Amino acid sequence: MSQPLKKISSINFGILSPEEIREMSVTKIITPDTYDDDGYPIEMGLMDRRLGVIDPGLECKTCGGRPGECPGHFGRIELAAPVVHVGYAREIRKILRATCKECGKLQLTEDEKEKYLEEIQKRIDIGEDPEDVAREVFKEARKKDECIYCGTTKNDIKFEKPTTFKEDGEKLTATDVREWLANIPDKDVRVFGMDPENARPEWLVLEVLPVPPVTIRPSITLESGQRSEDDLTHKLVDILRINQRFQENRDAGAPQLVIEDLWELIQYHVTTFLDNKVSGIPPARHRSGRTLKTLAQRLKGKEGRFRNNLSGKRVNFSARTVISPDPNISINEVGVPRQMAKELTIPLEVTERNIEKARKLVKRGPENHPGANYVERTDGRKQKVTEENCEEIAQKIEEGWHIDRHLKDGDVVLFNRQPSLHRMSIMAHEVKVMPYKTFRLNLCVCPPYNADFDGDEMNLHVLQGEEARAEAEVLMKVQTQLLSPRFGAPIIGGIHDHISGSYLLTRKKTKLEKSEAIELLRKAEIKELPEPTEEESGQKYWSGKKIFSQVIPEDINLTYRGETCKSCETCDEEECENEAYVKIRNGELKTGVIDEKAFGAFSGEILNEIVREYDKSKAINFLNRVTRMSISAITKFGFSIGIDDEDLPKEAENQIERVVENAEEEVDRLIETYERGELEPIPGRSLDETLEMKIMQRLGNARDKAGNIASQHLDPDNAGVIMAVSGARGSMLNLTQMTASVGQQSVRGERINRGFEDRTLTSFEKDDLSADARGFVYSSYKDGLSPTEFFMHAMGGREGLVDTAVRTAQSGYMQRRLINALQDLKVGKDGKVRNTSGEIVQFDFGEDGIDPTKSNRGEAVDLDRIIEDIKEDEE
Amino acid sequence: MNREEVTKSYLEGKDIASHHIESFNDFLDKGLQKVIDEHGTIETDIEEDEIENYEIKLGEIRVGKPIVREADGSTSELYPTEARLRNLTYSAPLELEMIPIRNGNEEKAEWVEIGILPIMLRSKYCNLNDLDREELIRNGEDPKDPGGYFIINGSERVLVTLEDLAPNRIMVEYNDRYGDQIEVAKTFSKREGYRALIIVERGRDGLLEVSFPGLSGRINFITLMRALGLESDKEISDSVSDDTEIMKYMFENLEEAEVESQEEAIEKIGNRVAAGQAKEYRNQRANYVLEHYLLPHLGNDEEDRILKAHYLGRMAESCFELALGRREEGDKDHYSNKKLKLSGDLMEDLFRVSFNRLTKDVKYQLERANTRNRELSVKTSVRPDVLSQRLQSAMATGEWVGGRTGVAQLLDRTDHMASLAHLRRVVSPLSRSQPHFEARDLHPTHWGRICPSETPEGPNCGLVKNYAMAVELTKGVEDSQEIEETLYKFGVNNIERV
Repeated sequence: MSQPLKKISSINFGILSPEEIREMSVTKIITPDTYDDDGYPIEMGLMDRRLGVIDPGLECKTCGGRPGECPGHFGRIELAAPVVHVGYAREIRKILRATCKECGKLQLTEDEKEKYLEEIQKRIDIGEDPEDVAREVFKEARKKDECIYCGTTKNDIKFEKPTTFKEDGEKLTATDVREWLANIPDKDVRVFGMDPENARPEWLVLEVLPVPPVTIRPSITLESGQRSEDDLTHKLVDILRINQRFQENRDAGAPQLVIEDLWELIQYHVTTFLDNKVSGIPPARHRSGRTLKTLAQRLKGKEGRFRNNLSGKRVNFSARTVISPDPNISINEVGVPRQMAKELTIPLEVTERNIEKARKLVKRGPENHPGANYVERTDGRKQKVTEENCEEIAQKIEEGWHIDRHLKDGDVVLFNRQPSLHRMSIMAHEVKVMPYKTFRLNLCVCPPYNADFDGDEMNLHVLQGEEARAEAEVLMKVQTQLLSPRFGAPIIGGIHDHISGSYLLTRKKTKLEKSEAIELLRKAEIKELPEPTEEESGQKYWSGKKIFSQVIPEDINLTYRGETCKSCETCDEEECENEAYVKIRNGELKTGVIDEKAFGAFSGEILNEIVREYDKSKAINFLNRVTRMSISAITKFGFSIGIDDEDLPKEAENQIERVVENAEEEVDRLIETYERGELEPIPGRSLDETLEMKIMQRLGNARDKAGNIASQHLDPDNAGVIMAVSGARGSMLNLTQMTASVGQQSVRGERINRGFEDRTLTSFEKDDLSADARGFVYSSYKDGLSPTEFFMHAMGGREGLVDTAVRTAQSGYMQRRLINALQDLKVGKDGKVRNTSGEIVQFDFGEDGIDPTKSNRGEAVDLDRIIEDIKEDEE
Repeated sequence: MNREEVTKSYLEGKDIASHHIESFNDFLDKGLQKVIDEHGTIETDIEEDEIENYEIKLGEIRVGKPIVREADGSTSELYPTEARLRNLTYSAPLELEMIPIRNGNEEKAEWVEIGILPIMLRSKYCNLNDLDREELIRNGEDPKDPGGYFIINGSERVLVTLEDLAPNRIMVEYNDRYGDQIEVAKTFSKREGYRALIIVERGRDGLLEVSFPGLSGRINFITLMRALGLESDKEISDSVSDDTEIMKYMFENLEEAEVESQEEAIEKIGNRVAAGQAKEYRNQRANYVLEHYLLPHLGNDEEDRILKAHYLGRMAESCFELALGRREEGDKDHYSNKKLKLSGDLMEDLFRVSFNRLTKDVKYQLERANTRNRELSVKTSVRPDVLSQRLQSAMATGEWVGGRTGVAQLLDRTDHMASLAHLRRVVSPLSRSQPHFEARDLHPTHWGRICPSETPEGPNCGLVKNYAMAVELTKGVEDSQEIEETLYKFGVNNIERV
C-alpha cells in the first residue's frame, strides 16, 4: 500500500468521540469467534480481513495490502451499555464533583468563569501549562453545597477504585455518569481546561470500543498446528461474549439484578483490556493462570514499548568481544579479529573506477579475508556470495551494483564501552585486522573508555554510509577527543609503565650508550642521532633528557612544576633536588623529569601544549612516539617490585614503633582526662565527640609520621617509590600502609564502635576506648595483621565495597534522569541555549559562552601564559 | 597452640554441610509430626441422615526410603546418581495414619500414602547413608561429596539458609512520626508459621498506643491492658515498672484512660474490629482478635491473656526506658537478634502449607463423594499428587510459600570449593535495591560465625554471607519446661494465671 507523502503541520491531542471511533472503524465486530473450520477469518469477527492480515497469502480487504504492507485498520465493538474508561476515572470524579447533576453547570459564577477563562488563555499564550488553573477551578467549584444556578443539593461523590462512583451511597451507573457529563455546557468545559471540540467530557465514558487492528495482536501458530491468540484478542473475545450476553438478557427482559451483574462484568473486561494492573480488581488471567498483558502493560515500564523499543534499539553491523592491550598499534587504531572482519561488511557502490577492485573482492569470496559477502544488483535483488558462485558472480558485476565487502585496514568504525557516560565513550577508530579473537586497543585510550583488561568487553559498530564515515572521521576520531569537555585538559595520555618509563629515562643520572640511544630513538621513529652530551674515557654518552627531547616538537617552550614537586616554600627552580622544575626550550628538555604531569591522562602539560599550539595529529604522533619510547626504556632498564622492596632498616622500624607507642600513650592520656572529666569540649561539639575527634587526629598524625619515617628510609630507586613519586600508580600512603602501619579503620567516618554491648569485639574490655579496641591497625600489610586487626580491616573494607556497589546503581539512575531532562537542549548559532519549543534556557551557553574543551582547565583565559608569551617576545 | 590439630579435629568431626543434614533430620524426626499434630483432624461438613458427623483423625507419619516409581508401576531403590542422570526426583513416600471417625466412633486406622517428599542427600533416610567408600564409588557417588542438598527432576538444589530477625524478642527503636521522634517497642510474635508484628509506641504526648494485626490503626494501651484482664490502675502500673519515673509516665496514661473495666474495654475493641455489627458479635470478634492476633506466641487461649498483658507491660517499660535514655536503641544487625532458617525449617514451612492444601482437598473429595452417594473411603479421597506437586514445584523453582523467591538454588558445581561455599551460604531477606548500609556492614558479632571476607561485590554485597570455618549452629530448645523450672529455682516468680 502506498500513501502520498504529506507534511505534518501540527499535532492535536484529544479524546476519541464515539462518532470518530465509528468513522475510523472499517467494520463492526459482533462475533467472538475468530476463524472458521477451514482456518479462514470470520467476517465481523475479531480476525476480520478488513482489519488487516497477518497470514501470508491473504490480502487486506480494506487496502488490498499483503501482510507486512498493510498497517492494519481499526474496527469497533458497539457496547450494549456504556462503561467508564479506567484511565479517565479520576478526571470524571473531578468533573462530577465540580458540576451540578441537574443542570450540568460548573459551580462558579459567570464572573469567575470569565476570570478563569482569561487566565487559561494567558497561560496558553505564553506557552505555559494551564493545568494548575484547572486544578484551582475544580477546587473552587467543589466547595458548593447546592447548585448556585438551580439550587439542587449537591451530594458528595464517592469514588471507589477503579471505576465506581457513588452519590450519597447510591451507585451511579455509567449511563448516569454519561448523561451527567453530556449535560455540561461547552462554555463550562472550557473553564476547566478542556477543549470541547476535541474532548467532550461525556467521551470519557466509552460507548463504542475501538478494536485494534489484527497486526498489533497477531496470533502465532504453534508447532502442533494449533493457533495461539494474543492476549489482547483473548480479552476482546471476553468483552464480545459478555456484551452479547448482556444484550440477550436485556432483550429477554431479565431481572435488573442480572443485568447489573453483567454490566459490571463488561466494565471489568473493558477495564482489564485497557489496564490489567489497576488496583482494586483482580487481574484477568489466562487459562494457565498467567496474568494477561493488555494495552497498558505493553506501554509501561522498563520492558514497555517506550523504554524498550523506542528509546533503545538493537542494530546490525556491530560486534562485541573481549578487549586486550596492544602498545604497538596507533592510538587511532583498533585491532579487529579477522573472523569478525569477514562478517562485518561495508556497502560499496560499483563504479567505472572501482569495478576491477570490486570484481577482485567478489572473486575472493566470503571466506578469504578481503572479500565480499553479498552483491546487490541494479534491480535491488540481493545475492549471497559463496565459495562456489564467487567466480561466476565476479564476472557478472556491472556498474551500479553494490557489493558488501569485508572490513579492511583503514576503515572507520565506532568503538564503545559501556557505561557510555560521556562522549569519549564512543570514539571512531581505524580498523586494523589482526589474528586471534580479541579487540586490541592502545593503552592510551583506556582512560576515556575507563577500560582495563580484566575481562572487559567492548562493542564495535561499522558505519554504512559515506556521510556517516565522514562525520565520524571529522568529529569522533580519537585524536579529536584528546581534550575533555569536562575540564579542558587532555583525557587521553600515558598510563602506568609509560610514566615510570619516561621517569626513569629522563632522570639526571640516566646516561645511555650509543646502541641504547639508537634503540630508543628507533622505537620513536626518529632517524637522526643527536650530538652526545658527555664523553668519558673515549665513550660517548647521551643523557636521557637529550633522547627524550627528540620527540618533543621543535619550538615548544614550556615551564611547569611536575608531579614530584613538594611545594617547597622557596622554589629552587632549575636547581630543584626532586627535578620537579620542568623547563622546555625550543623543544629541548632543559631541566626536570618527565612524569605524569607531562603526558599522563587527565593532566598532560606537554600534550596540552602540543594540541593547542599545533594540531591534533601532531599530538597523537607525539603520544605514540613517547609511549613507545618509554616502554622500550622501561624494558631496557628493567622494573619490578617485590616483598623486599617494603623492607625497612632496623632503626626505621624502631622509630616507627616509638611513634606508634607515643600515639598510643597520648590516646590513653586523652581517655584518662576524659574519664576524670577534665577534657575541654571543642565549641559546638559534645564531650564524646571531642574525644573521638582528638583521638582520630592523634592517630592520623601517628600514621603520617610513621609514613614519613618510612619514606625517608626508602631508597628513591625503590620501584614502589618511583611509581608513587612519578604518579604512575599508587601513592606514598599505599607504601606507608605496606611498610609502616595500616592505620585507623573507619566505618562511615567514625572509628569502629558498633558491636557487642559496650565494646567492639569480645577480645577487649567493656568501654575500652583505646586505639586498638576501636580499629587502629598498628601492623603493616607486610608484617601481617593480628586477628582483631584483620577483622576491623575487613569491616572498613566492607564499607568501601558496599559504597561502590550502591553508588554505581544510584549514579546510573541519576544519569538517566539528567539525560531525560537535558537531551533536547541545543546551542543555537547565536550562542543561546534553547529547548525544542524554542524557549531560551540560557542566554549564553554555560552563562559565559565558553566551550570548556577549548578552555584552559576550565578557565576562559590563560593569563599566565599570555604574560609568559609577552615576556618572551620582549626578550 | 597447635592450631592444625584443632582444625583437623573439627573438620573430621563435623561435615562441612552437617548443619543442613542435622536440620533436615530434625524435620524428618519431629517437624513432620509436629505439622500433622498441629492439624489434628480433618473435619468435614457432611451432614446426612446416617452420617451426622464425619472426620478424620490424623495419626503418625512415616517416611520411607528414596525410591523410583517406573511407568509400569514397579518401584525400586533409587540412588542419587541415577536420579541425576534420569532427571528424577530423589524422594521417598510419606505415609500417614488416618483414622476415620463416623458419628464419634473411631473406625479402623489406615496407612495412606499422602505424597512423596524430596530427601536430602546424606540425611537420615538417604540411601547413601550406610555405604562405605567403595560402595559409594560403585553407586556413582563422590565419597567426598558432603550432601546437604536435594535432587529435583535431576537438578541439584540447595535450600539456602535464610537470615531472619529473631522472633519473640522486644526491640526498641526511635521512629519518625510527622517530624517528631517517638519511641517504639516492636515484637515479631511467631506461632506455627504465623507471624504478627506487635508495636507499642509512646507518642509525643506521652500516651502509649499499641498496634497489632487484626486491628487497623492503633489502640490505647490502657484500654488493651484492661481488655486483657488487668483492670485496676495498680495492676497495670505494676505490670510496667515500679520505678518512680516510669510510674510518673504511667500516671499520665492512666489519667487519660478511655475505659474503666474489662467489659468496657472489650466493647471498645469490638467497635473497632467489627463496627456496625450486633453487640454480641462485636464482643465475640474482639475476644477472638485478642486471642489470635495479639502476641500469638504466648498462646491463643483465654488464660494466656494475662501473660500477654504482662508482656505488653514489659514492652511499655522498654519504651519508657528508651525515652529516659536508660536504654539504647536495639541493634537489628547484632547476631543475637538473628535467627537462621535452615533447610529443615524451610521444609517445615513448605510442608505446613502444602499439607494444609492436601487436607482441604481431602475434605472436598470426601464431601463430593458423599454428595454423589459413594461409599466414603479415606484411601480414595487422598490425592497424593496435591502434596507432592506443591513440594516439588516449590523446590524446583525456588518460589517458596510466602512469596519468597530464590530459596532453592541450583547447586554451584563450578568446582568443589564453590559447592561447599554454596552449601554454607546465608542470605538476608532485605531488598537488594535499597542501600541498607548498616545491614551490609560487617558486624563485630559476625566474629567466628560469618566469614569477614567472603561476600559478593555488587548489589548483593553484605547481604549474601557465608559461614565462618568453625561455626557451630545451635538449635532451639524443644523442652522449655526444663528452662522454666530452672528459672523458678533461681527465684523468678510465676505470673499467676487467673
